[in-house]
Amino acid sequence: MHIPDSFIPITQGAVYWVIALVFIVLALRWVKNEMSEEKVPLVAVLAAGVFALQAFNLPVTMGTSGHLVGGALVAIVLGSPFAAIFVLSLVLIVQGVLFGDGGITVMGTNIINMGVIGGFVGYYGYHGLLSVTRNIYASAAGAAWLACLIPALCAAIELAIAGTFPLVPGMISMGIYHALIGLIEAGITAVVLGLIVNSRPDILDHPTGAPS
Amino acid sequence: MISNRTFLTIGLVVALIIGISAVFFASGDPDGLDSTALVMQGQKDLTQPANPDAEIDESALPGEFEYSAPFPDYTIEGATKMTDTVLLVVGTILALLLVFALGKGLKKFSRTGSS
Repeated sequence: MHIPDSFIPITQGAVYWVIALVFIVLALRWVKNEMSEEKVPLVAVLAAGVFALQAFNLPVTMGTSGHLVGGALVAIVLGSPFAAIFVLSLVLIVQGVLFGDGGITVMGTNIINMGVIGGFVGYYGYHGLLSVTRNIYASAAGAAWLACLIPALCAAIELAIAGTFPLVPGMISMGIYHALIGLIEAGITAVVLGLIVNSRPDILDHPTGAPS
Repeated sequence: MISNRTFLTIGLVVALIIGISAVFFASGDPDGLDSTALVMQGQKDLTQPANPDAEIDESALPGEFEYSAPFPDYTIEGATKMTDTVLLVVGTILALLLVFALGKGLKKFSRTGSS
């Protein structure tokens, strides 16, 4: 759901950039004050994984494809939505500046959708579902699905404000496609979480119920 | 439990394998956003594939700014699969280095800073 520059007028893009910058500053403060230094290399590897997985579009029927976004995954593994904002912002900068994947004037919009909204929905969705299901994989999958669908619906609203899509048809179309793409998000998030739990349970900042 | 170094090595290798596979196996179908744009412009039915030559009509879009990325769509004119592979590997490592450098920098700042 990387929005290109042509989809949103510059003035609106600037407003989203200002909002995104507030969250970027908060994310940088989170890294500086809350994240332990031993985790820096692990966050960097997660960023590499997110970048690679985002390049891997998988078909989801109806002539459409989609890929992992990764906001939920990063937020769940590192235990903060701000981790997702930190990682996704930097990944989006590389994608936008070098590869034209997502625009420049709209980069703030993409950071808000995938980093901020994806991160917060992923993190709080996970902990909400965890308190009900008591299963980390089901919770991660459910939260990741929501962290794909809800940012896509937000993008549809932003694009309706921009006059690019009509509101209701845009939300229906974005919603249907990303409900399917969200299954990719759910599956990969649960699998990667499983790999991390089995190889390095200490990276997770919360008990998983697994013996460590 | 495996060591930090092993985790990093395995993680980076897995990321690179995924990225390189993407060059060869990723779907070229439009993503959810582009599909929606094609549907809105009457070039695609919601549940049907678009014509292979369907393109988003840029003139109908509100944006005024155009930035030319050096490697649009993870490729460059005249690129082979090898070139595309190199580009994806460079992008993956760049994402890793950026996060690493900024992370380390911020932690250093927090040690020497006011706190």
